[in-house]
Amino acid sequence: MTNDPDTMPIADYLAQGGKLTSPENVPPRYRGELLRLMSSFVDSELAGSAGFAAAINWAPGIKERIAASRITLEKTDHAERVLDLMEGFGTDKARYEQAHDWAARGPRDTLVDARRHGGDMRLSVFHYPLTGWTDAVVMNVLMGSATLHAVGELARCSYQPLAEVLRDILPRERRHMELGLEGLERIVVTGRGEAAASVAYWMPRVAETFGPAQSDRFDRLKALGLRHDDNETLRRAWRAEAEALLTPLGLN
Amino acid sequence: MPRFHPLEVTDIRKDTRDAVVITLRPRDADARAFAFTQGQYLTFRRDFDGEELRRSYSICAGLDEGCLRVGIKRVEGGAFSTWANEALKSGDILDAMPPQGRFFTAIQPEKAKTYLGFAGGSGITPVLSIVKTVLAREPKANFTLVCANRQTSSIMFREELEDLKNLYLGRLSIVHILESEGQEIDLFTGRIDAEKMRMLFRMWIDAESVDTAFICGPEPMMLIIAESLRQHGLSDDQIKFELFASSQPGRAKKRAVSQQAASSANSCEVSVTLDGTTRSFRMPKDGTAVLDAAIQNNMDAPYSCKAGVCSTCRAKVLEGEVEMEVNHALEDYEVRAGYVLSCQCIPLSDKLVLSYDE
Repeated sequence: MTNDPDTMPIADYLAQGGKLTSPENVPPRYRGELLRLMSSFVDSELAGSAGFAAAINWAPGIKERIAASRITLEKTDHAERVLDLMEGFGTDKARYEQAHDWAARGPRDTLVDARRHGGDMRLSVFHYPLTGWTDAVVMNVLMGSATLHAVGELARCSYQPLAEVLRDILPRERRHMELGLEGLERIVVTGRGEAAASVAYWMPRVAETFGPAQSDRFDRLKALGLRHDDNETLRRAWRAEAEALLTPLGLN
Repeated sequence: MPRFHPLEVTDIRKDTRDAVVITLRPRDADARAFAFTQGQYLTFRRDFDGEELRRSYSICAGLDEGCLRVGIKRVEGGAFSTWANEALKSGDILDAMPPQGRFFTAIQPEKAKTYLGFAGGSGITPVLSIVKTVLAREPKANFTLVCANRQTSSIMFREELEDLKNLYLGRLSIVHILESEGQEIDLFTGRIDAEKMRMLFRMWIDAESVDTAFICGPEPMMLIIAESLRQHGLSDDQIKFELFASSQPGRAKKRAVSQQAASSANSCEVSVTLDGTTRSFRMPKDGTAVLDAAIQNNMDAPYSCKAGVCSTCRAKVLEGEVEMEVNHALEDYEVRAGYVLSCQCIPLSDKLVLSYDE
């Protein structure tokens, strides 16, 4: 870092795929959008982890208990890694974690507005409660595969420190989804009906996490190099993958 | 939150006509906080005519040199760099934050890694720290360094680079590309462009063997090099960038703000600028935060925690007076410069001008 005079406007640099490397070289509007993206990730991981914690005690066996514990632990760790980046922008890490009740959930059957709801920035899907082990596993598989698409998209973003952290996180998020899939394979042997009901419940709610098909914010984020593929493209890719995962289990 | 600590200037020497190299020493109690990793930078602060400027400069020392050293090139009109080049002297105290930055890869002494470095102008500073550290700590590693400069006399650390080449004969090769100085081989004259990159890969660099490439220089140069590296098969996680410029204006200047006195009217005329568009509306002075009023007026203002903790909603007050109920995120110097957390910001004056774009 040297603070030489700007050799090209930062907007042009970003439009051509340039990367920003530290809080010191992030312009104000980029800063706002970047922090919003990071908050949404942190809040979703914290809320996801807090909601999944109950699944540890629903687990039907030791293997499942370990898997659920691991997912609960690692999602909180992922939240911390991104929160550490936010700290570089001035975020008070300790207070941030205490600002909201991450385990809080709304009623199961009231539709949650897909836009921001309540005090934190978690994705709307994390406002719905889990009802038991099968429901938790189904949600984990569907939201796990959605996370791979959403985080994979952000791992290409123009803020290099975030892209690097997300690239490190991706293989572990993939493992969480796979652990869920292994659990689901065992569940369908005796409980296909219950699993199918959970799939029907979670599919539209997970689909909504990708955001509206037409989005001004996407265009703005794309100009900043913070996004690349639009919401609908990601949603379609996820849906195809989810169907490929569920069909062999007779859940589609 | 990172804090500033005093560093003593123990040595300052001219490196080129317009660059100095400064050696710094932390107090004994702060030594641990200033243990750095190769490629990191220090952020300094200094008051210029009542306004605090913060500037970040990369550390140029290797991990095994046992000292903290930065290179500062004087920038035309740059308050901090001019002061550092012309007025700073041995024995002075500089306030700095502990080292930050992620422009490095983990040291793996057992691996035979191949590195590629591109440094434009003073972009050599962090790359020099990396070169010295990896060659010393990874005995099987080799490094190809491409330096782009205007002319021979403007090459920073020229002698030190020569010495390193001799010290690590066969492991360090250095290519100098000079913009305005003819050399025998065309490749070495001019600016780095796509054609030069193709020639480099044809004649000097085996792209397939490269583990990691480091790039620090002006933005257009970084774009050209990164694009070429990708075309030659390097993936994003093999390319490490360190951006040159800071988003702060270079010149110290007085803030022109007319502070209106608080008045007794029970509403406030607010104009808010976001993405270059300014919208005006009237909001009640009943404890409503400016952010909430902006959102009610259909502005897509950035925010997250709404608790004064995360700083996503930071904006700058250009005119008028506000009160912040809670602030756990902005530092004193930001508040003095007019920044507020708009989620915590209650208008006091009858008129308020606020911008998310500054």
